[in-house]
Amino acid sequence: MFLVLSIVFMLMRLLPVEGYFEGRSDTMSETVKNNILKELGLLDPWYKQLYNFWRKLLLEGDLGKSIVIRKNVPCVDIILPKAKVSFQFGIIALAIQLAVGLTLGVFMARGKGKLIDTLGNAYVLLINALPAAVYFLAIQLYLSTALKLPMLFDPLRAQSRILPIICLSLGGIASNAMWMRRYMVDQMNMDYIRLARAKGMTSRQVAFRHVMRNAFIPMAQSLPTSILFTISGSLYVESLFSIPGMGGLLIQSIQRQDNTMVQAMVLLYSVISITGLLLGDLAMMVCDPRIKLVKKGEGR
Amino acid sequence: MEEILTNHAPDYSKPILSVDNLVVKFNLRGQVLTALRGISMELYKGESLAIVGESGSGKSVFCKTFMGLLDNNGWIDDGSIQYGGYDLTSFKKEKEWIKIRGKRIAMVFQDPMTSLNPLKTIGKQIQEAFTLHNKVSKEEAKKRTLELLTDVGIEDAERRYKQYPHEFSGGMRQRVVIAIAMACVPEILICDEPTTALDVTIQAQILELLKRLQEKYGLTVIYITHDLGVVANVADRIAVMYAGDIVEIGTCDEVFYDPKHPYTWALLSSLPQLGVKGEDLYSIEGTPPNLFQHIKGDAFSARNPQALKVDFVARPPYFEVTPTHKARTWLLDPRAPKIAPPPQLKNITKLSRGGDLD
Repeated sequence: MFLVLSIVFMLMRLLPVEGYFEGRSDTMSETVKNNILKELGLLDPWYKQLYNFWRKLLLEGDLGKSIVIRKNVPCVDIILPKAKVSFQFGIIALAIQLAVGLTLGVFMARGKGKLIDTLGNAYVLLINALPAAVYFLAIQLYLSTALKLPMLFDPLRAQSRILPIICLSLGGIASNAMWMRRYMVDQMNMDYIRLARAKGMTSRQVAFRHVMRNAFIPMAQSLPTSILFTISGSLYVESLFSIPGMGGLLIQSIQRQDNTMVQAMVLLYSVISITGLLLGDLAMMVCDPRIKLVKKGEGR
Repeated sequence: MEEILTNHAPDYSKPILSVDNLVVKFNLRGQVLTALRGISMELYKGESLAIVGESGSGKSVFCKTFMGLLDNNGWIDDGSIQYGGYDLTSFKKEKEWIKIRGKRIAMVFQDPMTSLNPLKTIGKQIQEAFTLHNKVSKEEAKKRTLELLTDVGIEDAERRYKQYPHEFSGGMRQRVVIAIAMACVPEILICDEPTTALDVTIQAQILELLKRLQEKYGLTVIYITHDLGVVANVADRIAVMYAGDIVEIGTCDEVFYDPKHPYTWALLSSLPQLGVKGEDLYSIEGTPPNLFQHIKGDAFSARNPQALKVDFVARPPYFEVTPTHKARTWLLDPRAPKIAPPPQLKNITKLSRGGDLD
């Protein structure tokens, strides 16, 4: 993680310095430019810059100040409230994705080849085949009139959260259902399921006591990453419902050449991915007793 | 192995399970396959019956019908299985099967490496089998589980109870699988190639264990196997299966020393122990018949160099050799020409009773 952050920081330093002049580089004189750079510590040798960056980050939690988007406001203060909004939506959506998606997957696997399975597969196919924009728009336009729900997000009205959350959940439900079904079907063909049936368990008991947990394990690994990434928000849903979330922030920062903001956000995302992966592996370890003892590549 | 016959005494007066003209079919990619072609058989209390035959002869399918564990694309087309006052072929719902499965008829599967749920402690897996059929408290169930573990020869049961399958060797896992099968002390224990996946030293131990459990609890055991060594070691009676039918059935001695069906001859002739040094081992030419098609006459006729004309036309009935020994071959018809069994089979007597067949 240290390495990734340092590399990101150094890469940012390679960018042309124009980004620090708020787009007015043509009109500024050389001395003014130099003063600004010096003030930001950008004329120091690279190792000193790196050292300062780490010192500030670790001791003061300081990621630098925004230059363009909101001048001189610390990046952390810009990101936090937006991340909070995104997280609120994301975590609810994720909970729905898991609850509905996994249940659907379980029922699809139990009734493999029957009506529920066909319907579920049709849903999964539809969601994956259609561009998200199409059904998001459809939901915003038709569902809002049909259910008399507000079309845009309004922080004061709880109902206005319903539609964006539905939008956010749909894709996840589809993929959760698809994977859960697949893993369950895989597990159901295993020998130990035959033994469990021979013990005298009903197929329902087998499905709930043996199959479900085993099928969930491969999914547990990706869970922490998805939880953490809810804070990054969804670009499309947030702009569609005008939610003040994280969705567009990175792109906005890049477009407007706010170097410190870009740096702060790339740092944030890399921290999230790495922590997510680590937690994912830990989650696997908790769920699967084999992993504590078996070395990588030796698992059965 | 000194003793071929085990000490326990099977009771041949009353069958506990009797199968009559059982026909099982499977639907495979739209085609119908007849896996069992009208099998009839009786199983007696306390005996061990070995069902032998090559792969695909229907041994496993046959035993799975006793527990209602046929795959979804298979069904019982005809016939009946009488057991404990029920006709098992009439069972449709899971609810009916639950009374039998695991409780009165239990099964030990072939591969212990994959037969246990890798994510549950073996204690839990055995206990589950017990609590499914007995309403008992947790402590009691655990006590019983520990007893079972000790019973199947797993030492240090208290510690082993909490371990996961990956912490067990293959032989130990098979013991756990046996403990699961024994959890409710079933009447009939079906062992589907119980030693195939194990190495030779462990095989003997597992067979010993099964024999000991049989004596202790008076079990009736069915061994499904293609290893004649195992058969000679444990079985009271042998049923030879070929292409979905029992072609010969008799006591261990009768089938080994006085086989009547040409397929049994061929099978025994291919025992490596009967080979002569320097000569190729005997092997049966050709392949088993296609079960998708209707089989006319004796199923083995196409591979039998000495087949009679009638073998290709009509299916032979069972001819009784002795009250315990019968075979489905026209050779036993009084009108049939005398065809002697292949000469190498005489050597099987040389291997002598109590001899070394495994």
